[in-house]
Amino acid sequence: MEDPDHRAPADAAAQPGHAEQVAALYREHHGVLVAFLQCRLNSRADAQEIAQEVYVKLLAMSGMEHIDSPRAFLFRMATNLSVDYLRKRAVRSNQPHEPQDEDWQATPLPEQHAWAMQQWKRVQIALRELPAKTSRAFVLHVVEGRDFATVAREMKLSERMVRYHVSHALAHCWERCFAPEVS
Amino acid sequence: MENKAATEQEVAREAADWWTRLRETAPSAETLARWESWMARDERHARAFDQLNALGEWLCVASTSQRQELLDEFAPRVTWARRRPYALAVAATLVLAMLGWWGARFVGGRGMPAQHYASAVGQDRDIRLPDGTDIALGADSSLTARYGRGRRRIDLAAGEAYFTVVHDRSRPFVVDAGSLRIEDLGTAFNVRRTGQRVSVAVTQGRVRVSSSTAADGQLELEAGQRAEYDPRSGMVRVSHLAAQRATAWRHHQLEFVDEPLSMVIANVNRYSRHPVQLADPQLGQLMFTGTVNTTNIDGWIGALPHVFPLQVSRFADHVVLSSAAH
Repeated sequence: MEDPDHRAPADAAAQPGHAEQVAALYREHHGVLVAFLQCRLNSRADAQEIAQEVYVKLLAMSGMEHIDSPRAFLFRMATNLSVDYLRKRAVRSNQPHEPQDEDWQATPLPEQHAWAMQQWKRVQIALRELPAKTSRAFVLHVVEGRDFATVAREMKLSERMVRYHVSHALAHCWERCFAPEVS
Repeated sequence: MENKAATEQEVAREAADWWTRLRETAPSAETLARWESWMARDERHARAFDQLNALGEWLCVASTSQRQELLDEFAPRVTWARRRPYALAVAATLVLAMLGWWGARFVGGRGMPAQHYASAVGQDRDIRLPDGTDIALGADSSLTARYGRGRRRIDLAAGEAYFTVVHDRSRPFVVDAGSLRIEDLGTAFNVRRTGQRVSVAVTQGRVRVSSSTAADGQLELEAGQRAEYDPRSGMVRVSHLAAQRATAWRHHQLEFVDEPLSMVIANVNRYSRHPVQLADPQLGQLMFTGTVNTTNIDGWIGALPHVFPLQVSRFADHVVLSSAAH
């Protein structure tokens, strides 16, 4: 049975060595690619899924000879896929979301919350220690998930300043949550 | 030692800088290449970056109410700051307004005499007013109803009440609770007053809320919204609160979101056979988020030492919370 449209990745009419080249690219960059995607998507699981999708797409290509920098290409694909993914996620979260009202009923016992509450308090304390603008920019961007341009408009700041505030707040939260105790 | 800490901080700052750059819509190939080599240069770099990723993820998977709490505190939609120079002027205006109202009442008014309602500790109470308005009064709460011809007025002296109002545009329904005034605009809403701290949550329709200590006016709340007046800051904070959470107390659940333990205890005591006391006022400053089942207050008290640095001493007719011994 001949399938004219048969382009299964494994035996695609790819250049010899294409799969090996993709595998090498995978080995070399997988860790940072997932870190990059997690940073953009706020979810390690989603990041791994999208990284997988990137490789599947690369394998399905006929070859990479015409690509100057396979590494840059890899990241560009990941960037595009993450933008699509975020857009879809935004649409989903705009839809009415019933279970949200239910979660309070299933509230676990306080002691199971103790650690999470402590970390949460640390972030709250860290944010209280910062100038109002700094924590506001951080919360709008990271917690509410608005992009830099939207936050900039809302706060009447430049995007560069918003990034500066977010980065400053993040470093401060890191310090309160992760910094090694020095005594 | 100190040097090492400083460099850890520097690493975190660099990592945070990369983290925000990578979240731009389309970071350039050059940025990504430089970031990748930064990640490879030092294992602390990659570790700090991973920790920031974990922090970001963790802030996003937190419960809706926790995230809302951060938004409410650090990116609130509406706030009124108390402006002290105006406070007196506002108070004076208020006094005049009240004199005016009383005057009108004496001249033309022939309303119903003031009715006082109160409930006992541990006992909720349902009230039906002559116009058909229903009030569910929480335990250990009290209010006064004054129905004039032009206005129906409730004064909530203490505790909690849920109002289902029969709307009448010609005869506004107004609840005063401490510094807040709540006016019905076709509504069911809940008011909790703990001393001077007041919380208003709308479950249906809308209300108009004004504050006697805020210079600039009023705001409208709709179903699913809550306004809280904090007497320490003089601020009114608006947040989201699902309708069934606002009235959860009617089903034996007291709901608290980031409230000082002293306020939580005061409300729990409205339902507790054995009043709970705080031996150490500092404990009262601890912030509590969670649900207290009023049919199992003992169980809640028993769990408190797991969450807060305190110990519980039970006596025949009361319970004392004191700072945990070290």
